[in-house]
Amino acid sequence: MEIPYTFTARKDTGLFNSKIGIWLFLASEVMLFGGLFSGYVFLRLYADYPWPERALPVLPGLINTFVLIGSSVTVVFAWASLKMRQWGRFQFFMGITIFCAVIFMVLKGLEYNAKWHHQAVRLDDFTILEGHTHKAELDERGHLHIHHEHGAEPTEEEKKRQFPANVVVVEAEEINFTLVRAHDPYVKDILAKAKERGAVPVLADNAFFYGSPKDLPIDAAERKKLEDQLIKSHASGKEAVRFGDKKDSLYIPKDTQLTVDLLDRAEDVYLEARAINGEVRTKVLRKLWKDAREADKEDLPNFKLAEGIQIDPEEHLTGLVAEAPSALTFTFEKPVALHFKRSLIREGEGSSKLKDDTIIKGAVASSPMGLAVDAVDLRWVAQRAHEQGKDPKTVIEGLWIMENPEFKEIWERHSAQLAILTEELKKDGREPTENDKYRIDWQDLVAFHRAHEKHLEPGSPEVADLRPGMFEGITGPNHKIEENQHAFFSIDIPNEKVGFESLFTPKWNNYYAIYFTLTGLHGLHVVGGALVLAYYMFFSKGLYRRNPEWLANRVEIGGLFWHFVDLVWIFLFPILYLM
Amino acid sequence: MADSVEEIKKAQKLYILIGLVLFVFTVVTVAVATQPWLDFGAHGFDKADMTIGLLIATVKATLVGAIFMHLNHEKKLVYWVFGLGIIMGIALMLLTALSFADPIKYGNPKTGDGFYNPEIPEIN
Repeated sequence: MEIPYTFTARKDTGLFNSKIGIWLFLASEVMLFGGLFSGYVFLRLYADYPWPERALPVLPGLINTFVLIGSSVTVVFAWASLKMRQWGRFQFFMGITIFCAVIFMVLKGLEYNAKWHHQAVRLDDFTILEGHTHKAELDERGHLHIHHEHGAEPTEEEKKRQFPANVVVVEAEEINFTLVRAHDPYVKDILAKAKERGAVPVLADNAFFYGSPKDLPIDAAERKKLEDQLIKSHASGKEAVRFGDKKDSLYIPKDTQLTVDLLDRAEDVYLEARAINGEVRTKVLRKLWKDAREADKEDLPNFKLAEGIQIDPEEHLTGLVAEAPSALTFTFEKPVALHFKRSLIREGEGSSKLKDDTIIKGAVASSPMGLAVDAVDLRWVAQRAHEQGKDPKTVIEGLWIMENPEFKEIWERHSAQLAILTEELKKDGREPTENDKYRIDWQDLVAFHRAHEKHLEPGSPEVADLRPGMFEGITGPNHKIEENQHAFFSIDIPNEKVGFESLFTPKWNNYYAIYFTLTGLHGLHVVGGALVLAYYMFFSKGLYRRNPEWLANRVEIGGLFWHFVDLVWIFLFPILYLM
Repeated sequence: MADSVEEIKKAQKLYILIGLVLFVFTVVTVAVATQPWLDFGAHGFDKADMTIGLLIATVKATLVGAIFMHLNHEKKLVYWVFGLGIIMGIALMLLTALSFADPIKYGNPKTGDGFYNPEIPEIN
């Protein structure tokens, strides 16, 4: 079939078809991004916490803007070259365009990567700390040991043992797995960690899964007899055995070692039993309803029963249902220190819960979070103080972080610096912003450290010039530079002080959620557009020979999409980076 | 549409010029946001900075649309299709604005009383 109007214009519209197609698509894109921009405005206006204003490093965004605008120009030139039938020139400009797309994505990748390795934590008093977590490990006695020192790269062996100092250590005595929820990787993780500490979790008590109703003795005495028999005949071998008529019942003796396979087998039987019981229950209920309706003298609608008629399936189920425990409990001979990523565990006194509903009994050991701090944000503290009619300054002076002598000096220097700024602004009748007043970012920390090294008094006018420039730390604070390692003070935050912690991912707050949504979606458009343009560049020589006008039209369509991608970025850049 | 070869040849200079203008506008946006000597309105980010930033972005977007995407001389149908898309996009923005006039949650803006005034719980 021949497709009409690929390179000639339709008479009524004056356009070739694919052009209408791309404009329809772009119109839908306007609405897609429009909705998301609207979402951004909504989130920002309704934010009940200090919005991260101008929080992103500007340079990568700026370079990316240049790159996209440049590529917009080259893609027009590529199209113009085709119109003038210059294949080589077309390839040249298209090549630059695609190269620009690559640069854009690489920069985006660097930016994302910096975010994904940057830790944020909100303390219970609403102090926000940003930084990098130190490395930590558990020593022989199961105590958490945080490596504050920088310096030598850890060996492979050490790397394996170490983990980010952002964990909760539990002195596990007993672990209870919910069979349907237990997540295999978590189970494997627990097993590996226990093994490292020379411990093996074993089943706390004999477990009987009657997966088929036929296997379940009706009489309690009979049941005891069957169970005793099973226990006796399998006393020596500690492994799960099938029993019963259809071999779908399971007996797991006490002290059987935990394995993933064991949990899976137990889960299978449990699920089967649950399915059988569901069916049986439905059948019984149906019959009860039918009987009740028939017994009902008055002709009531189906969903209504006369008063006094009760429907209770439980007493009619005897002998029909299977029976299987939904969870299994394993114990350790003596408490074993296990560490879990803080985001995976909800710790409690004596009993903690993992994300897959696994309950770990045991005391929570001292598990501070080790952080090299590269920014302190007290805006939320100040906002809450205002809301409660308190003086922010007094509230801040009473904060937990003030107990840290290093931060105390930093705060002193910051206050002195702020006083200078306030004086300066006063001349024009202006005021410092909340950001100026309550946020100490990494450039400030470096400047204060440099001032400290130079023995400058707090409030020296030179301090402002010591701030690192735009090119020192392009994607944010660099913890690998030695000077920064001294400037970014270390702090151990006790477990109970940690209110909420996250890397700089969508989880941290709505700003990062909408930032990743918008830039991620835009990035996908860049990749998609670049692939289409690359196809024109590398695989369209044949079409060019047969019908150059058709190819020019195709490139125009691809170009229109590319310009639109640029257009979206023109708004994204100021909104996300500069406002 | 600049379809003839001569016209395209002429237009190329314009494309480069527009590209340069876009570069300059970008630098201006960043300068307004980062340089203290070019800080409009109150100190730091405020409505003035927002307005200027969005205004420049709109001008840039218009240039890209008009010149690079040839919207300055396009067929009627394209204007209809894209125009409707933009109107719908603006409607989406208005939804946010309308949410501020929510009488159920925020009450009557004139009298100040509403049907639903929850106490905001303290988070600890």
